[in-house]
Amino acid sequence: MTLIKNARITQDNWSYLVQDQPLQASNNIVNLDYWQTNKEALISSSKPVGLRVRGEENPANFSVDLCHFSLIAIEIPSFTDGRGYSLAKILRETNQYTGEIRAVGDILPDQAQYLNRVGFDAIELPNEESANLALQKLSEFSVSYQPSFVTTKEFN
Amino acid sequence: MYLYNDLDQTLINERVEQFRDQTKRFLNGDLTEEQFRPLRLMNGLYIQTHAPMLRVNIPYGLLSAKQLRVLAHIATKYDKNYGHFTTRQNIQFNWPKLEQVPDILADLADVQMHAIQSSGNCIRNITCDPLAGVCADEIEDPRPYCEIIRQWATLHPEFSYLPRKFKFAVSGSTKDRAATQVHDIGLNMKKNAEGRLGFEVLVGGGLGRTPVIGQVIAPFIAEEDILSYAEAILRTYNRFGRRDNKYKARIKILVRETGLDKFKEQVESEWVNLKNGPSKLTQEHIQRVKSAFSPFTYQTISNDNAYVKNLDRSGAFRQWVKQNTVKHKQTGYRVVFVSLKSPMRPPGDITDQQMNDLADLADQFSFGQLRTTHDQNLALTDVLKEDLFELWQQLTTLELATPNIGTITDMICCPGLDFCSLANASSIDIAQGITDRFSDNAIDIGEVSLKMSGCMNGCGHHSIGEIGILGVDKKGEQWYQLTLGGADSHDSKLGERLGRAIAKDNVVDAIDDIVKVYKVNRFNDEKFADTLLRIGLQPFKDKVYDTH
Repeated sequence: MTLIKNARITQDNWSYLVQDQPLQASNNIVNLDYWQTNKEALISSSKPVGLRVRGEENPANFSVDLCHFSLIAIEIPSFTDGRGYSLAKILRETNQYTGEIRAVGDILPDQAQYLNRVGFDAIELPNEESANLALQKLSEFSVSYQPSFVTTKEFN
Repeated sequence: MYLYNDLDQTLINERVEQFRDQTKRFLNGDLTEEQFRPLRLMNGLYIQTHAPMLRVNIPYGLLSAKQLRVLAHIATKYDKNYGHFTTRQNIQFNWPKLEQVPDILADLADVQMHAIQSSGNCIRNITCDPLAGVCADEIEDPRPYCEIIRQWATLHPEFSYLPRKFKFAVSGSTKDRAATQVHDIGLNMKKNAEGRLGFEVLVGGGLGRTPVIGQVIAPFIAEEDILSYAEAILRTYNRFGRRDNKYKARIKILVRETGLDKFKEQVESEWVNLKNGPSKLTQEHIQRVKSAFSPFTYQTISNDNAYVKNLDRSGAFRQWVKQNTVKHKQTGYRVVFVSLKSPMRPPGDITDQQMNDLADLADQFSFGQLRTTHDQNLALTDVLKEDLFELWQQLTTLELATPNIGTITDMICCPGLDFCSLANASSIDIAQGITDRFSDNAIDIGEVSLKMSGCMNGCGHHSIGEIGILGVDKKGEQWYQLTLGGADSHDSKLGERLGRAIAKDNVVDAIDDIVKVYKVNRFNDEKFADTLLRIGLQPFKDKVYDTH
């Protein structure tokens, strides 16, 4: 996996929680079930934590906890599935979420700018080649008709 | 007519380059067929039976003479010298080469045209009343709003990967000529009690396998709120529409399965967040787009003498005027329909030569503009009455003056099995059979809408035809299911099945039987639809199935 964030290839310092494996010391991305079961402990550890949800997840199921997440990873099961785009937009605009929103899953480099414009500031791509292509595609269009959500905020 | 500014032009130029890169990567093997498919579809490119098919948008059916000449040029250079106009006011080319499509798009971009989202699971071309701006019964010209919606929908980052295609139609008049009830979103312009402009919003209409008449989701949405309201509908659909089965993925199924009330609740809870956001339209924005559609500078005509003299001169001209022209809101002018239903060509087809010559006629007689209609004809909407005779003569020479608008030979027809990889049965040869059988007495038969699709996807709108013909496959043979009594304006309704499917060789005879029953039973000038309503389906059934 190669991560692009804020329009450049970036070292990924986050790890996804693997079932039945212990958490890393910090920067864990957990799923919604794990979060709900271990919320207290995760909050009291004061370590940055991320949440992984599927694109079709109802934001109401986790929006009250948004302040605890440094990162939301939205899973896109197929590149033709647009639900994650709406979810990102809702998190940015309705919930005013300012942390990292990362696209993971089946993503074409051609979609980088679309993802970015609905509020994703990070995208996981299969390899460096596709990540480089995605970087080019980020500025494929210099103009647009719709106002877009583009974050410039750095987040660690 | 709306003319592109720098932003519009830059965007379509960049789109051409985007597609050029995607095509190159596909041809190099860097994109798989599965990956390329949705990308090419979003640029109107299908892979059909014989060759790719490219569908080019004609936003809300408005076309300049200059643009028509470029369509002719594309037909000449990249295709087999013709194009096919569709029921959604677009044009299709059936024989382009994949590797040439980026060049075609570049030629189109030179005249402010494109194929963006003319296919794929995204927001498609916005269609509207072909008589917008010239009909006397208009509340408001819908075209500026169509243009505003077109821009908003173009490359919309949130709505480019919807569960399925999504179609808008907008009508500005009390008489619906845009089939707003059979679109995913249908917008009917209206004024509320305070005289404010806005839209009645219909949702969940559509044809295809499961034809549904759209329902009113909001009786009045003010003009400045129309984009945010559409956004709320689209977002609800994008999130909740079914993605497990492409035949159940249209918004009509979501609305039906959710129930209109609950769906409306979901939309409105989303709308609360969007209503006063960046999609709210300003009057300045609306007025800027409206200024591109101001009426032409019409001549003031004091009398009809020349026109009346010409009417007296020729019966054929009189017949054409009666059948193929309608009233214009400006005294001294008429709207002329250019029939693309001549016996010489399949319905909706036009040659490159005809396009070039017609472009000249548009320059000469109708302010250099044309319209496409959802009946697959064209219109010159602003013709001086005194010019009609000369225009008629020239159209006749071009085989574009068949006096059959609204008659049985003015049928809507999909390309069918001859071109389309989805079709079960052919349409074009049935159309030819109907044209041959009824050409001589189409006018006597009067107003009847005949619509034909080669498969249940319903591109030919058979389910809303007064006579509907649907091609079905029976163990590898082509059969045809007939329906009667559909309607496509204002009180849209779906036709009823006449009975069992009919073998290909008997279809034209069956239509003939239906026409005979009507002619025997009609009172004076009673229309087909009215006779059918009065006498019911049975007499037609008896006649068709007794003899076959």
